[in-house]
Amino acid sequence: MTNLRSIAGITAVMLISGALNAQSATVLYNERVVELEQTLPDATDLWVKPEDLTRVNDFVLKPEGACLDELCVPVLQDRDSAMFITRRGQAWFNVTELADKLQQAYVTDYNDGIWSFGTMPVTRQSFLRGGEAPDFELMGRDGELVRLSDFRGKKVLLLTWASW
Amino acid sequence: MPVWQSIYEELKSENFEIISVAQDTGGEEAAGYIFDDANVSYTAIIDVNHQISSLYNLVNVPSGVWIDEQGSIMRINEGTYAKEHMNGAWGTNDYVPIVRDWVAKGADSEYVWDRSKVRESIIQRTPEAERAQPAFRLGGYYFTNDNDEKAEQYWTMAQELDPTSWNYLRQDLQYEEGGSAGPEWRARREQIEGAGGAYYAPLEIENN
Repeated sequence: MTNLRSIAGITAVMLISGALNAQSATVLYNERVVELEQTLPDATDLWVKPEDLTRVNDFVLKPEGACLDELCVPVLQDRDSAMFITRRGQAWFNVTELADKLQQAYVTDYNDGIWSFGTMPVTRQSFLRGGEAPDFELMGRDGELVRLSDFRGKKVLLLTWASW
Repeated sequence: MPVWQSIYEELKSENFEIISVAQDTGGEEAAGYIFDDANVSYTAIIDVNHQISSLYNLVNVPSGVWIDEQGSIMRINEGTYAKEHMNGAWGTNDYVPIVRDWVAKGADSEYVWDRSKVRESIIQRTPEAERAQPAFRLGGYYFTNDNDEKAEQYWTMAQELDPTSWNYLRQDLQYEEGGSAGPEWRARREQIEGAGGAYYAPLEIENN
């Protein structure tokens, strides 16, 4: 009986600490795999520390909002909102809420805490409407980073193929 | 691939680059030797996450995109081969001459598309197809981490969300019995072509 009670006690402690302590998560976006040590536990959304936002998707939290280059999505930071909350003095930013606002698709494996984000349509209007070639940054076979923008001034034939 | 290398040798002094990107989750092991065997000296990339297909809204391989000196697309979304294979069973001899013409004449080439033609040729994705790419990316993450069960789960999800993508289907079939050009692929292709559709967007080469 004593044993059972102590096991139950330990389990309860683990559950409580699990609920209070932030949990880890993995974010996939383009080529990046970002390991986040702490996120705010939430049944459906991904809440990260403001400093992790940039690691996840390049957005920077500024007084005027979450910004990527000229694009800024307004974020109230003096009170709780769907995008931003403060708990025990720690600020948290809702990355999935931002994605929904930007119509950026994502797929989540909740069991493993892995969040995979798609391209952001809002950053792709020059391609979709203007026919500008999206820039990319991929590792070349020679170990050098290949950026399309490094080839300005040349004509480029971009070819995809596969071994399969 | 050796043919593209010879075309590159011929045109590279004219401010021309080939960026050749293998859409291969299997990485260097799966695709590297093909670049090596052809001794390519142009820019070679193995794109394990199919990021170029994601970014350029491409659904099949091989596909070609022409990008001019300012970074504007001049042609896109064409099933492009360097030459005809197996007496015309696949491939075409018609594409390389128009590439030469473009490299020589630039915007004056009659094969350069205007803005609206480029726009119309970019595949527009449904919201479901937008979700297919992070699903495929997640499957690839599990594949890389040796979790085949979850890789299969998310690759299947990607195919269901975007049934127009041959890349999602065939990359997955590669790791199943029958392979990427086996009975399942043939059945799907016949189904599409039988209904009047095209496996590749037809190559539109304007007559001189």
